[in-house]
Amino acid sequence: MTIKEKGYTHWDGELQDGRFPWWPITRIGIKLTFKRKFFKFFFALTLIPALVWLVGIYVSERLEDFKFMMEGETDFLNVNPAYFKTYFTNDFLLFMVIMILVFCGAGLIADDLRHNALQLYFARPLKKRDYLTGKAAVIFFFLFIVTLVPGIVFFLFKLIFAGNFQFFTSYPWLILSVIAYSILITTFFAFYALLLSSIGKNRRYVAILIFGVYIFSDIFYAIFYGIFRSHYFSLLSIKSNLQQVGAVLFNQRTPVDIPWFYSLMVIVAICLFSGFMLKRKVRGVEIIK
Amino acid sequence: MTAVIQTQNLSKWYGNVLGLSDVTLEIEPGITGILGPNGAGKSTFLKLITGQIKSNIGSVAIIGQPIWNNFPQFSNIGFCPEQDSFYEEMTGWQFLTSLLRLYHLPTAEITEKADKALDIVELTEDKHRSVRSYSRGMRQRLKVAQSIAHDPEIIILDEPLNGLDPLGRRKIIRLIKEYKGEGRTIVVSSHVLPEIEAMTNQIILIHQGKIFAQGDIHYIRDLIETHPHIISIKCSDPRQLAQKFIQNDFVLKVNFDLKKGTLLVETTNRDKFFGLLPSLFVENQIEVEEITSPDDNLQAVFDYLIGK
Repeated sequence: MTIKEKGYTHWDGELQDGRFPWWPITRIGIKLTFKRKFFKFFFALTLIPALVWLVGIYVSERLEDFKFMMEGETDFLNVNPAYFKTYFTNDFLLFMVIMILVFCGAGLIADDLRHNALQLYFARPLKKRDYLTGKAAVIFFFLFIVTLVPGIVFFLFKLIFAGNFQFFTSYPWLILSVIAYSILITTFFAFYALLLSSIGKNRRYVAILIFGVYIFSDIFYAIFYGIFRSHYFSLLSIKSNLQQVGAVLFNQRTPVDIPWFYSLMVIVAICLFSGFMLKRKVRGVEIIK
Repeated sequence: MTAVIQTQNLSKWYGNVLGLSDVTLEIEPGITGILGPNGAGKSTFLKLITGQIKSNIGSVAIIGQPIWNNFPQFSNIGFCPEQDSFYEEMTGWQFLTSLLRLYHLPTAEITEKADKALDIVELTEDKHRSVRSYSRGMRQRLKVAQSIAHDPEIIILDEPLNGLDPLGRRKIIRLIKEYKGEGRTIVVSSHVLPEIEAMTNQIILIHQGKIFAQGDIHYIRDLIETHPHIISIKCSDPRQLAQKFIQNDFVLKVNFDLKKGTLLVETTNRDKFFGLLPSLFVENQIEVEEITSPDDNLQAVFDYLIGK
């Protein structure tokens, strides 16, 4: 028998999980997204609504200075929960969120499937849960920049421009609404994008799916509403469901006259279904030749 | 020697398709070759022992600990998949460092280990090129690099020589042998028999999800009693030698290869045959040029076992 000399010293301490095992996945996801063509330019565009709303907050505190521009109507510059709700649930912002998902979410799992990278990840000390958390964190990172961060900035700047805490004492719950709605919308879209990304290997098809499912869900609502004149078909629309729950979180009237918790149930059901499907779809590649 | 990898009644099926059936074996330090035709269950076996997929029945233990869901243990294992698994837009360096980050190592150590691994597989000069521009051989070497970069105790290589030119093959074989010399455990799968033969004598033969044989290639060969050994002798007087051989009951058949001037003898007992051979040469004053066993190789063993 050959004599084998052990020429290396192996670390003999206790093998442990890292503190944030998902972070390397997130890091590379963010890095690769920024490398995509036109993404930086596009991402800058998504921040335009936030800038406009911020300017609105500034102008609302200096109405006297800008009176010459207003010509009477200044109600829309009344900074209150409705002002915040309008930012968070406006069609343009939701559309931009979908476009961000097209850039950052489409390839998250699809690229790994195309490159057979799952087997490399799962041969390392990385749990499926960590992998999915890392991928979802990429979406959280980008969507928080256009939801949570502007929401907090609006709130803070309102206090700074006003020079007092009256706004805070009038609406102490508003900051919680901002946080809750940002988490809701981001969590929903994280599940939504990851589910669609796990369906195919081609990021372009997935991008079309992300865009198409969102748009068509709204189109179907419009078609069915046109035929049956029932607002319950708004439950088919992703946008409408988010707007319904958003309105409730900001203590505003719901845009559609149906119980808001139906919409919440639809959102939760989609998230649960996505989670279930992701658990099934994401696993060590099994090859049978 | 203590077994590093132990499997007990390991079985895996995909729906109605049997991937692996009732595999119980132990793998010790050194190089072990997993051999089998395409679809035999090699990749399934490797994925089971690396903890990537769960067995339907049975268990796998790595250094005495079950591997399934034992994520810290994964740091002990380096896995080189058969298929390409690259992000084409990354450079070789980025690819390697991003995978090393999953081991929760400090940045300085990641840099050091990535450099070392790239140096071992001789990709240092090309490390800042995108993987898209790599040749087949370079990709293969990068795959090997990612499996050894974190300095694992157990290295699992699925068809590591695929697509390599002869020089590349030699380099990888040399590297694998060096790791063996360090006392590590290396499991190499291949369906190309000479590749395994060039690395190790310790083999596991898999066919249709079952283990056909495990152990030293020559030992396994000896066990196959139903198939006689063929021995080729090139000598000065093959006819006289044939006459002497035929008197022994352990010799089944003699044949002449007139073109090569050799005598082919089929025997059921190789030990007795080789025990007799020297005395026959001396007594009959026959000059010997060459003695070979054409079927004492992996291909022959494999063909016998799967019943070709």
